[in-house]
Amino acid sequence: MNDAHIVSSYDRDLESIQALIMKMGGLVESAILDAATSLETRDEELAEQVRKRDAAIDALEEQVNERCALLLATRQPIARDLRTVLTVMKISGNLERVGDYAKNLAKRTGVLVHMTPIEGAAGAIRRMSVTVEGMLKDSLDAYIQRDAELAEDVRHRDLEVDQMYNALFREFLTFMMEDPRNITACMHLHFISKNIERMGDHVTSIAEQVIYLSTGVMPDDMRPKGDRTSMDNVEIDG
Amino acid sequence: MNDMRITERNVDANAIKIAARNCQVYYGDTHAIKDVDVDIRDKTVTAFIGPSGCGKSTFLRCLNRMNDTIDVCRVEGDIRLDGEDIYDAKVDPVQLRAKVGMVFQKPNPFPKSIYDNIAYGPRIHGLARNKAELDEIVEKSLRRGAIWDEVKDRLDAPGTGLSGGQQQRLCIARAIATEPEVLLMDEPCSALDPIATAQVEELIDELRQDYSVVIVTHSMQQAARVSQKTAFFHLGNLVEYGDTGQIFTNPHDKRTEAYITGRIG
Repeated sequence: MNDAHIVSSYDRDLESIQALIMKMGGLVESAILDAATSLETRDEELAEQVRKRDAAIDALEEQVNERCALLLATRQPIARDLRTVLTVMKISGNLERVGDYAKNLAKRTGVLVHMTPIEGAAGAIRRMSVTVEGMLKDSLDAYIQRDAELAEDVRHRDLEVDQMYNALFREFLTFMMEDPRNITACMHLHFISKNIERMGDHVTSIAEQVIYLSTGVMPDDMRPKGDRTSMDNVEIDG
Repeated sequence: MNDMRITERNVDANAIKIAARNCQVYYGDTHAIKDVDVDIRDKTVTAFIGPSGCGKSTFLRCLNRMNDTIDVCRVEGDIRLDGEDIYDAKVDPVQLRAKVGMVFQKPNPFPKSIYDNIAYGPRIHGLARNKAELDEIVEKSLRRGAIWDEVKDRLDAPGTGLSGGQQQRLCIARAIATEPEVLLMDEPCSALDPIATAQVEELIDELRQDYSVVIVTHSMQQAARVSQKTAFFHLGNLVEYGDTGQIFTNPHDKRTEAYITGRIG
């Protein structure tokens, strides 16, 4: 079966919107990695670049919304075309949020480079970022391939990110209890790791959109969740 | 999304008005309708969609035996209205068509006054005992056809002098004057402007309270707007029949999807 619309400009409209999403995805992926690298290598200049580049991501999101509104108004898409437009709008929202978190990471890098480094933290955060970036890459690949199976795999990998966050959360608490001079740095690092954990949630949401796009139904089974820090309580001796 | 489907789920509880089984239609050697099984529910708008020549109008015309008038046309299978075989030798097609009314693509008022257009059916079926009763039927039908206010002062004017949209609503009023149980509409809006189309669509939605409405339309958006059930025909087959919301958001058959999204099927 031929997959093209009879009206070829309809296909061009849909493709151009999806191209914007891919462009956005690429920018967000490098923002995550560069922000984490800037923290690990204490590279203030790279951090500054990441912060500046976020404006381009925001502008793309706006462009996606405008194009989608126009396409809805002029072509009244239905079935799979409608799902494409709906998911594109949600995915661009998710990407924009992930971009914001990366920007926030870069901002905190600007503060953290002037403090004594917390042992092992930047490396752990970088590993966490690489995991999230890998998930994002796969979820966007799944989007292009309309691959619900790969998207389902991404959804389940979020557990890993949650567990990394749990471990960091406890580690930072320990550092802060050991020496109150660590508190400022550890608070910043904690926000960073929490933000990366949130990035994972947004990427999971993208993966869910891919499943909806390719199957027509949202996955409704509970996915495994690993962030238990909201229930953690650490006793202070003494 | 589930909330949007409340009306659609509700119609599933409605009684089956027309049940077709193994329906075949031949025009001479051409097999135009192949093995169609469908249940059409009461108090529900059912849309038939599909490309030109797919058989949707042919099938619609089977439901009130309009195909009887075509010599080379042969209908086989079982079509029941309230459980009774409409192709039974005992059934009088004229009586059947009083129960199963029809509105066509082009408004076709009789070359008579507006009043007589409506009064014609009730007169030949003996639905009114006197002039007062007939007046009442005419007014009620025109009101239900959402055209009363526009024509009440000129009931003696010729029906053909009305605008296209008014003529079509006059024809709908004429079709409902005999108190049918089912209303068949073959592209009722394709010759109308958007305002007249909206008025007819509003009317269809009101008619659903009392009738089973079956509409053939080439407009996907119209099918999506007015119907609760949609049937997709392709090359004489009924490819997919389901809740309108499901057909337009997540069609199960590849051919349905290719057609409704404007791809080459």
